Amino acid sequence: MDFNALGACFTTPACVVTQATSGLIVGMLLFLVAAGLTLIFGVLKIVNFAHGTFYMLGGYVAYSAYAATDSYALAVLAGAVAMALFGVLFERVLMSRVYGSNVLMQLLVCYAVVLIFDDIVKIVWGPEFRAMGMPAAFQVPPLFIAGGVVPPFYAVLIGIAALIAIVLSLGLSRTRLGKTVRAAAVNPQMVSALGVNTTVLFAIVFAIGGGLAGLAGALAGPVRSLSPGMGFSILIEGFIVTVIGGMGSIAGAMVAALVIGLVRGFGTIGFPGFTDGLIYIVMIGILVLRPQGLFGRPL
Amino acid sequence: MKRNPASRDALFAAIVLILLLAIPILHRSPAFEDFIIRLSAMALFATSLNLLVGTTGMVSFGHGMFYGFGAYAFGLTMQLTELSLPVAALFAVALTTIAALVVGAICVRLSTDYFAFITLAVQMLFFSVIVSWQSLTGGDQGLRGGIPRRHIFGFDLGSQLHLYQFCAIVAVLGLLALRHVSMSPFGNTLRMIRDNAERASFVGIVLWRARLLAFTIAGGFAGMGGVLAALFVSGAYPELADWPNSGQAIFAVMLGGINSFLGPVLGAMILLALNDLVQRFTEYHGLVLGVVILAFALGLRRGVLDFIHLVWSKRAR
Amino acid sequence: MSGPVTRRTLLAGGTATLVAAPWVARAQANTLRIGMQSILSGPIALLGTSSRNSLLIEQDRINAAGGFLGRQIEFVFRDSKGQPQEAARVARELVNTAGCELLVDAEASSASFAVQEVMRDLNVACIHTNSETSSLTADPKIRVPTAFRVARQGVHDAVAGSLYLADFANAKKINKWATCSPDYAYGRDTTAQYLQFFKKFKPDVEVVTEAWPKLGQPDFTEVITKLIQAKPQALFTLLYAGDLSAFVNQGNVYALFGQMTVATPNVDYPVLAAIKNLPAGIQSATRYLETFPDTPANKEWGQAYFKRWNERPTNWSWQNSVAMHFYEAAIKKANSLDGKVIAAALTGLKINSPFGADGTITMRDDHTTIGYAIGWGQTIPKDPFITDIKPADWGKIIELETEWKKQQNYS
Repeated sequence: MDFNALGACFTTPACVVTQATSGLIVGMLLFLVAAGLTLIFGVLKIVNFAHGTFYMLGGYVAYSAYAATDSYALAVLAGAVAMALFGVLFERVLMSRVYGSNVLMQLLVCYAVVLIFDDIVKIVWGPEFRAMGMPAAFQVPPLFIAGGVVPPFYAVLIGIAALIAIVLSLGLSRTRLGKTVRAAAVNPQMVSALGVNTTVLFAIVFAIGGGLAGLAGALAGPVRSLSPGMGFSILIEGFIVTVIGGMGSIAGAMVAALVIGLVRGFGTIGFPGFTDGLIYIVMIGILVLRPQGLFGRPL
Repeated sequence: MKRNPASRDALFAAIVLILLLAIPILHRSPAFEDFIIRLSAMALFATSLNLLVGTTGMVSFGHGMFYGFGAYAFGLTMQLTELSLPVAALFAVALTTIAALVVGAICVRLSTDYFAFITLAVQMLFFSVIVSWQSLTGGDQGLRGGIPRRHIFGFDLGSQLHLYQFCAIVAVLGLLALRHVSMSPFGNTLRMIRDNAERASFVGIVLWRARLLAFTIAGGFAGMGGVLAALFVSGAYPELADWPNSGQAIFAVMLGGINSFLGPVLGAMILLALNDLVQRFTEYHGLVLGVVILAFALGLRRGVLDFIHLVWSKRAR
Repeated sequence: MSGPVTRRTLLAGGTATLVAAPWVARAQANTLRIGMQSILSGPIALLGTSSRNSLLIEQDRINAAGGFLGRQIEFVFRDSKGQPQEAARVARELVNTAGCELLVDAEASSASFAVQEVMRDLNVACIHTNSETSSLTADPKIRVPTAFRVARQGVHDAVAGSLYLADFANAKKINKWATCSPDYAYGRDTTAQYLQFFKKFKPDVEVVTEAWPKLGQPDFTEVITKLIQAKPQALFTLLYAGDLSAFVNQGNVYALFGQMTVATPNVDYPVLAAIKNLPAGIQSATRYLETFPDTPANKEWGQAYFKRWNERPTNWSWQNSVAMHFYEAAIKKANSLDGKVIAAALTGLKINSPFGADGTITMRDDHTTIGYAIGWGQTIPKDPFITDIKPADWGKIIELETEWKKQQNYS
């Protein structure tokens, strides 16, 4: 515990800006992962335990695409699209068979997919870590705002993630598809009875959810390392965010992701070494006091 | 000619135990003995989880914390005190039961999904405490220095045969005890709660009390499994209390069958055997295990023992 | 109604036959099986794979020369994924089921302790090749008669590194340091060791902040920003492999390397090559380098490895190679494979090695190796990646190690 350092940081504008921005970055990438997870749960009532695999595969696809084309934009697109397609396949071939089953059976299917793809990645890309490398366009010195450090690459990342958040929430509230998805989340039988093809709808939801995770993995490519099995920690983090924010709520995912990001950003100064424990305590607290999460609907 | 179910179970247990103890007399196979030792720990762990999942309908994602707690409690007791092995084991199980009571008090009031999440969160918190509290637990390295090898009534920890015998006895007796709980009126209460909680409460059952008792008992028996695991590795490691280990118990239950008492034991056997066998032929054991799990989950749609019972009962008609 | 006992016994019988199959004893072939377990998957897979690569080269070399005691050797590889209880199980399986008569434990620190406990009960010779934590052999409570370590040791590196860094810091007047190491036993203990010796050689050093990211943590951003704000002049870090790569990439985004000198003992060859924008001027130890020791034998070994595996050897590669050389020499001397007899032969044994500081490496009485080449220099972005290498003074290392052991109450 280092409360002195924490206090010192809160009183220095430079520190606040820098740590808050770093918290924002961590939070934004978390949001992209969590958004997909919470969407899938909200509509399909399935916890997608394979979500980390989408993130991992998105990163690897982007890595290969970047190596082939030298274009970061194309690489990110490739990662997102590939995972959207994978999401559809995953839903149609596997998940749709266990919709009615015990949640543990669904967990089992997801876990099997995680195991299989961790090894496939090992076979295709090798067991050692891979690094995409920073695209030349972003190899520029960081910006200084109010004395705090803000790297342009992260500024762009935050921008993209924020844009997606806006598109997602507008899409869900304004478009016809979005309204149908929200309706299906509340009452799938009614939606089906009204003539909507729920099969296609569910596939679309998985496409969006998977695509978001893949996008996060691809976006993070230049700064993070890729290795088989990396999806697991991402899944746990995304899971914590969705529980705290509320399963089924995009706004909740955003708020919770930012909270976790900021807790990390400032927690590393005040509680180095126990930041994880802090986050679990928050999660337990939420579950005891308000189980549906900050923005969720009671189940 | 009606047979008393309890004595039938006891007879079956006795036969199995005699068989297990007889095998090393006829043929020594260190690999088989290692397998049984590990199976003992996992069978107790998975069957105790099924008391929650299959019998009461409570899905716990964090059951591994009691397995780990039992292992650490036992390891620390043996290292820090002069208690003999059986006493230390009982003490560790008792401590774990108390821990389960405390955790259960926090968790059982929540409805199904949230119950699953909060048990996971508590387990992850417990895990990070183990890893952070280096002075007590040795942190991520685990309890080092091993379990002190003491001789009690000629029982030598260093001897694999003695370890095998100890584990076989504890596992069979433990499973018999769990069977007794499951077949008792209390077990029937739990099944009633699983099938229709509302009706159960109308009949006058205090839901949270029954669930808490089930959770506590399950935690205690998981701790017993943890003691055996600690004996096998001669120590205690944080991985025993980590989420993937909870996952192992869940898979054992699902693979073996949640509606059969011996389902989890069979599931544990399958998982362990797969783990060991596949490793010898390929390093891509994840791929093989994943495919096998998919075959079970999508093909059989239920655990093996449940499937067999279903097929058999259909034939009987 | 057919009794459940009949059904169950049928099932039990069937299952028993199925699972009994693998334990039917195999006819003992004349091959000598040597078990090797390590981390072969996950973010630190390089540790295991580079060890395995080296052992396969040794296997071919030894077999071509007639094997051990006239028997051809064959490695049996197992992946413990770095999990201690899995490592313990694998160790027992290698000996009990796979019939291995010798063991090479290439696990990282945490799992090596688990394997050590298993070795206490089995009379099989075991050489730990990748565990750098001193207490594995230094602590008499943990030491095991038939287990040895052929690897660099944390305390040796700490002394050598601190000496070099103290000189460097005094020359450049760098007094303010920060540390950033993975939050697990190796990271904590080794950082503490380095700091302890560093303060001894340079008493006016000031540690302005410490960062402890989790091993395998994907994002180091909040740690990087915290470090930048503490404004140290230099950073000491024990991050390695994928973590180090991510740290460098994320650090570059914040121009971290322009703001402070970085010192790390852990940059392995393939990592140096894989990190796309490796900054120059990082003070680094030579884990394995073709040019240090600057001898033809060393260069030849490095190039043969590269030719066979199309990647550069790591620190773990040479350690495993030397382990096999030790086994070779000890088995010849002992003329037996019995654990205790080999142990007696290994203790005090000195062999020639291209990786020795003076061409030799010795296995000390406390079951750990000394005399291997340790050097520190600074990085450049291209081959050979490290230049201006200063070799460490082994006399000083041993002197301070002895003092440190007394301090820890190891006999």
